[in-house]
Amino acid sequence: MSQRPLSPHLQIWRWGPHMLVSILHRATGDGMALVGLGVLVWWLGALASGPAAYETFTDIMTSPLGWVVLVGLSWAFFTHMMSGLRHFVLDIGAGYELDTNKFWSIASPVIAIVLTGVFWAVILRVWESQ
Amino acid sequence: MGNGTSIGRVRGLGSSHHGAQHWLSHRFTAITNLVLMSWLIVSFAVMGDYSYSSVSAWLSHPVSALAMILLVISLFWHAKMGLTVLIEDYVHEAGTKFGVLMALNIAAIGGGAFAVFSIIMLVFGGQA
Repeated sequence: MSQRPLSPHLQIWRWGPHMLVSILHRATGDGMALVGLGVLVWWLGALASGPAAYETFTDIMTSPLGWVVLVGLSWAFFTHMMSGLRHFVLDIGAGYELDTNKFWSIASPVIAIVLTGVFWAVILRVWESQ
Repeated sequence: MGNGTSIGRVRGLGSSHHGAQHWLSHRFTAITNLVLMSWLIVSFAVMGDYSYSSVSAWLSHPVSALAMILLVISLFWHAKMGLTVLIEDYVHEAGTKFGVLMALNIAAIGGGAFAVFSIIMLVFGGQA
């Protein structure tokens, strides 16, 4: 294996937004697979176990570290969703023109941050109004 | 597998028309994730009250429970495929790769089954 030639890896290339959006897609996807599904399974298991287990879950998830995890997961979701939608467009063979490709490579993660902000703004607004 | 003719040497080694299956399944589950996560995100956003009684009542409703079960299956399936590609890209030693992929299969099916079972327990009232 070590004798076989390797293609140039990350450090060879000059960074561009398409590389960032590509690695963000993998990082957020696999991050959600490892952390997000763990939180989801814990949340559902706590709901099935009863009020005491659910309170333990909400106590930890509303601690400072818990908030970082929840906000981080929501950001990861919207980032993965936006770059995933970009992939669907690329899959049908569109959006490969240099300018278009660069534009959506930058726009996808930026829109994701906006969506994350909107999501939490709505949550806090509904929460406070109750 | 034969070792005489050229076709005999390659038969059974390639994807034999199944190469697109993983790729397509990833897209199919991406679409179901998009639809069902949109439902979950909107549900969370408008929920307001995140107490046990409120959230368990919401999830016990047949429509929510069924959507959540479908979401769990779609998410775990999609995540398992994503992690499979990650492992195939970065774990090169055959024995290690086999072990990690097996652990992934156990975790994905075990975690998904636990989640679905939890929803069913909540709906059919293991707890009062």
